[in-house]
Amino acid sequence: MLSYVLAGLSLGAIYAIAASSLVITYVSSGIFNIGFAAMAYSVGRVFYSLNTVHHWSAPLAAVVAVLLFAPLLGMALYYLLFRHLRLRSPLVKIVATIGVSVALPQAVDLSLGKLANVTAPGLAPRPLTVFHPFGAVLNMDQVVTYGGLLVVLVVGVGVLRYTEIGLKVRALVDSEALTSLSGTSPSRVSLGVWAASATLAGLAGVLVAPASGLTMSGMTSLMTAAFAAVVVARLRSIPVAVGVALLMGVVTEVLQWPTLFSPDGPWQSRLVSGVPFAFMLVALLTYAVRGQAGETSSGGALDRAIRPQGGDPSAAVTVHGPARTRLPLVAGAVTMAVVVVLVLGLADYWTGLIAGGIALAIALLSYTLVVGEGGMVWLCQITFAGVGAVTTAELATNHGWPALLAVFVGSVLTVPFGVALGVLTIRLGNLYVALVTLTFGLLIQRLVFTQDPFYNFGSGTSVARPGFATDNKNFAFLALGVFLVLALIVVNVRRSTAGMAMSAVRWSEDGARTLGLSVVQTKVLVSGLATYIAAVGGGILALTFQSTLPDSFDPFVGLVWLSVLVTMGSRSIMAALVAGIFFTLLPAVFASYLPSSLGDVPVLLFGLGAVMLAKNPEGVVPMHGRQLATVFERRRGDGGTGVDGATSTSGADHEPSGVTPDPSALRAPNVAGPVEPTLSTGGRA
Amino acid sequence: MSTATTGTTTAPDRIAAHGVTVRFGGLVALKDVDLAVAPHTIAGLVGPNGAGKSTLFAVLSGLLKPAQGTVSMNGVDVTHRSPQKRASAGLARTFQHPELFSSMTVREHVVLAHRVRHARSRLWTDLVTGRGLRRPPAAETERVDDLIEALHLEDIAHRPATGLPLGKARLVEVARALAVDPTVLLLDEPSSGLDVRETEELVSTLTEVVRERGVSLLIVEHDVELVISMSDVVHVLDFGVKIAEGAPSLIRDDPAVRAAYLGEDIELAEPRRTEQTVAVAGGDNTREERV
Repeated sequence: MLSYVLAGLSLGAIYAIAASSLVITYVSSGIFNIGFAAMAYSVGRVFYSLNTVHHWSAPLAAVVAVLLFAPLLGMALYYLLFRHLRLRSPLVKIVATIGVSVALPQAVDLSLGKLANVTAPGLAPRPLTVFHPFGAVLNMDQVVTYGGLLVVLVVGVGVLRYTEIGLKVRALVDSEALTSLSGTSPSRVSLGVWAASATLAGLAGVLVAPASGLTMSGMTSLMTAAFAAVVVARLRSIPVAVGVALLMGVVTEVLQWPTLFSPDGPWQSRLVSGVPFAFMLVALLTYAVRGQAGETSSGGALDRAIRPQGGDPSAAVTVHGPARTRLPLVAGAVTMAVVVVLVLGLADYWTGLIAGGIALAIALLSYTLVVGEGGMVWLCQITFAGVGAVTTAELATNHGWPALLAVFVGSVLTVPFGVALGVLTIRLGNLYVALVTLTFGLLIQRLVFTQDPFYNFGSGTSVARPGFATDNKNFAFLALGVFLVLALIVVNVRRSTAGMAMSAVRWSEDGARTLGLSVVQTKVLVSGLATYIAAVGGGILALTFQSTLPDSFDPFVGLVWLSVLVTMGSRSIMAALVAGIFFTLLPAVFASYLPSSLGDVPVLLFGLGAVMLAKNPEGVVPMHGRQLATVFERRRGDGGTGVDGATSTSGADHEPSGVTPDPSALRAPNVAGPVEPTLSTGGRA
Repeated sequence: MSTATTGTTTAPDRIAAHGVTVRFGGLVALKDVDLAVAPHTIAGLVGPNGAGKSTLFAVLSGLLKPAQGTVSMNGVDVTHRSPQKRASAGLARTFQHPELFSSMTVREHVVLAHRVRHARSRLWTDLVTGRGLRRPPAAETERVDDLIEALHLEDIAHRPATGLPLGKARLVEVARALAVDPTVLLLDEPSSGLDVRETEELVSTLTEVVRERGVSLLIVEHDVELVISMSDVVHVLDFGVKIAEGAPSLIRDDPAVRAAYLGEDIELAEPRRTEQTVAVAGGDNTREERV
């Protein structure tokens, strides 16, 4: 037992370092760094390269990787990205940091090469020295971890409490505006904060790698636990975050004590997976009951007073004049025509990919609804898509239902889960909602999708397409039909009274409530409908690839989905279609026509696309749509863009020419570790 | 419960607070406040910064639960009713900091408010009937156009609410509030941010609403002269305590009010009675016990 407690304290110490990093950047900049795992991975990867590949000594490699490379990485990211996010909406901040989590590992792998062996060395000398205090087992890696946390705490407290730099950081946390007025440059302080945060991320990455493996998957587990600790600490308190992280580590390890649960039994791994979610759930319920889980905003009264409105992808959307009804329709029709021509004209392999893209676009419509319209930053739509795929396969394959009936009826079964989640998170601020839904997705992934009978060595359950759409071409048209029907539903919702109520609740709950609108009803409506659409998308995806392929529904792949969509435009129907097709098509184009060493470039491009949201939160498709509308209006001579340059664009738009999009084949990008087998469309190996 | 006499009948107050106390931790934001708004009247609520005016509005509209006391509408206790239920009962309000729906146009604000009141079922039926994709009914269009015209919002009707100047934002809130055809309307600093002409037009519109539609108004304003010129009765709060209530002409010269606004050192042993027919609640007025 004591051995497990000691191991738990070691694991908890790593969680604590990670949680400290997240809290520091959040309180000082208002950015919750979802790219944390990528930063940890990158530093760990550099350490590995120096130590294992180039045979540097561990201390020297650690100094260069953690104390030199990591702060430089943090400063570079601050300069290139984070400083532009300060006044952006939570959604843009989240998606931009997702972009980091997608692009950074790809950039590192492109630079240092793919890692064949994920077993990483630690900071302790090999072979590991093992101690036996009170008969328990304690190795040198664990001792180093304790030391790491101790150093972080001592140095952190010392700097923050007793130095001028610490004073400036604390001033920045309280009010950036007042800090600036007092003659201190907030940018310089922030630069230092991000350097320190990246150093902590790097240290956590190097420390966790020996136990979890030097993979994004291993770093993701670390990040999930750190998220939970930070949520329990209400995003602000480092001491609480550290304490909870240590406790979480101990609980995680003690649950693996064979006396409690057999390692071969079904419970141990599931309980261990559920530890972060349990901590987070208990804390959130407590805070929600106490009314303490609202949006936390950084800065003081002056910061809030001078903070501009907007910065949200959907805030720029409005309607005006005749162009409102015509141009999006024309652009949408042109986009659809292009898709039809592609389906009819391309070879079967490419048609299959496009069918997959359309199926994905259906799932992306759920993000359009819940994120774009409802303003709820849900990061688990992919999980509902996965549940839709599983229920479709269960009903069609195991119960003999017709495939399409299985899709549409099976998807109904997922709605209660979405509604329940919607009700649970109704009183939470945006960031909390994002973290809860992401953790929920991870929980379902580990408890359901990766367990038999659903997993089946990664291939899932096979499911046959409808008889009239067995070939890729017919199936692509079937998927396009489903997409159009659901798109019309989304457009109808947007223009309906319910859609307006949804917008009202999104932008001002007090304003909506005093108008007589029910926040609960509205959010339940959005949750239920978006969940259904996601599940239908998952079902169609399963039909596309004729298997459920559970790994394809990893929540971190969902982050990539969301990023692709938001990069294109979170409220645009056509952006969903374009995003889905790009997501599947571009990696295949790279794989077919470019050297294999560039295979990860599409994912890198996509990540960079999401990062670009920091400067263009509207999204690529609406932005070009707006520009096109302006050109048309000028030609008509009616004076441009309405009152004070109010923008156009409410949905359907034109095909984005010259865009730097994203994607990766419909196989899941490498943001969450190994995700094979890939979703393939058949027809080509 | 207070009542108002109109002709030969006695109608209950449109909205009334009875002994309302609100505490934020150790801070007493409102202490035993009574206030009533009779039908077809305009009541003013004034007081220096921090007097508790917006807090009282939050209590009246249901956004804040009082620690003690009750709120009634038309004689019915609504203390435990949600803001939505109070809105359904005829209450509408505006906010000190306009609570607009950023991505919606000015016109959509008014349309939504109108439908919430007059076509509530459309919140759900639109989803299956597709009515959202068709032209709205002529009656709705006419009413919405009337309101937009009355508040001179035609030029910005199709502009999104985000980025509107403060004055325009306030007018949009007023239009939205009027679109639900309220029986009682709470206006939190409606003239703030408006120029002189806009203020005059707003006053004219509001007066007309009271006269023609029988709406009761409760107005919070820093512009005391405006309140006095519009109101039938004025309530004065200071540090969470109601220190005066009465006809505008009497309130203007009330020593307690002058003390509250100008800092004159006048001790009040008990609440002031400035009009014989109106009882003033409030109790003691010592500032020490407020924090």
